[in-house]
Amino acid sequence: MAKAREIDGLRADLPFADAAAATVAVRAEELFEHAAGVLDITDIERVHDMRVATRRLRAVLEIYAPCFPRELFKPVLAEVKALADALGARRDPDVLLDRLAGLEDVLPKAARPGLEAFAAPAREEQARGNDVLEAALAEAERANLRARLAALAASATEPRVDAGVEAAPDGDGTERARADAIATAGAAPAEASSADGAPA
Amino acid sequence: MKARKVKGLDPAGALADNAERIVHVRLGELWSFVPAALDPDEVTALHDMRIAAKRLRYILEVTAEACFGPYAGTALKRTKELQDLLGEIHDCDVQLPRVLGRLEELRSDAARQARARAKPKADDLDPRLAIRTAHSAEWRGLETLAVYLEARRALLFERFLELWTQLERDGFRARLDYAARERPPATPPVDPNSDADGARARLASGASA
Repeated sequence: MAKAREIDGLRADLPFADAAAATVAVRAEELFEHAAGVLDITDIERVHDMRVATRRLRAVLEIYAPCFPRELFKPVLAEVKALADALGARRDPDVLLDRLAGLEDVLPKAARPGLEAFAAPAREEQARGNDVLEAALAEAERANLRARLAALAASATEPRVDAGVEAAPDGDGTERARADAIATAGAAPAEASSADGAPA
Repeated sequence: MKARKVKGLDPAGALADNAERIVHVRLGELWSFVPAALDPDEVTALHDMRIAAKRLRYILEVTAEACFGPYAGTALKRTKELQDLLGEIHDCDVQLPRVLGRLEELRSDAARQARARAKPKADDLDPRLAIRTAHSAEWRGLETLAVYLEARRALLFERFLELWTQLERDGFRARLDYAARERPPATPPVDPNSDADGARARLASGASA
């Protein structure tokens, strides 16, 4: 698993918004650095590394949510989540097949037909997962996710009228949404299901 | 599992102060699954606890070193261990039903074959018709896999109980809560005019002395 890159200049007294800008920019770059070769099913570590990078990115987006304008933040977070889901669709069967291969090495030959009976549908699932991932990568490219993530990171330090202000009780909705983002910040990704076990 | 809300976060406030609030809430979230998750049959509680551990891990990954006292780094490692272990247990919980489901599919298919071998109007089924069905070679491996996953789950759950007991014994929660209130000593800003700082700055920028 790829180690997370250090965030230069991160200090206890750094304003939260400045930390948001620096951290999200680095984590976003890491995500795209791991995109090469992920559709190659003969090297499952590539998908794993990119999945870990999406998890880290998603986690910091949610931690720093209050620092971003909601109209930029919400769609970007949704797209990162979609990419993470697509990576999960490939990763889950990858892990299963890898474990089965490990078992095949240690179990007697008589057990192999049974392992194969379990591996065959997993291979089909892996192929479908690869299609899902290919489509998700194309969508990220089409939607210019990389540039939008960079813009989102930069937006954290841009002055805003409502920066750091709790929502007015009967605001126009933007303030309310921002208050909600402030309140829910810090949440890291949850998963519906996974066979990865691999921490991100 | 939806994350608990963290109140009072302030984009203009210090990173450490905001992170402290988040850590405090995430710690409470993690502990909220005890004692439910200590019951091996409470699969959902265990899964949710894994997600909670992940959330705690990520905030510590970003802030432990830069913002908090020394125990935060240790807590990050312990949290990762916990998350890894819960992840392995979760794998077993996901895979075992799939193996059992596959066995069920093959058994049903074999039963259909055995029935088809009998005469349509037979009064009863000859037991010999149930052997050597198309999938008979696959039973053993799948049964072995099911046994392996069930036993592995039981073993890993024992390790989880031990790890959790150790975390409790070590005062993990109180110590991390305390560490999140501590701040690391401030690093003086680099002075490019001082010899030592200048050299460090040049080294960092890759320039020759």
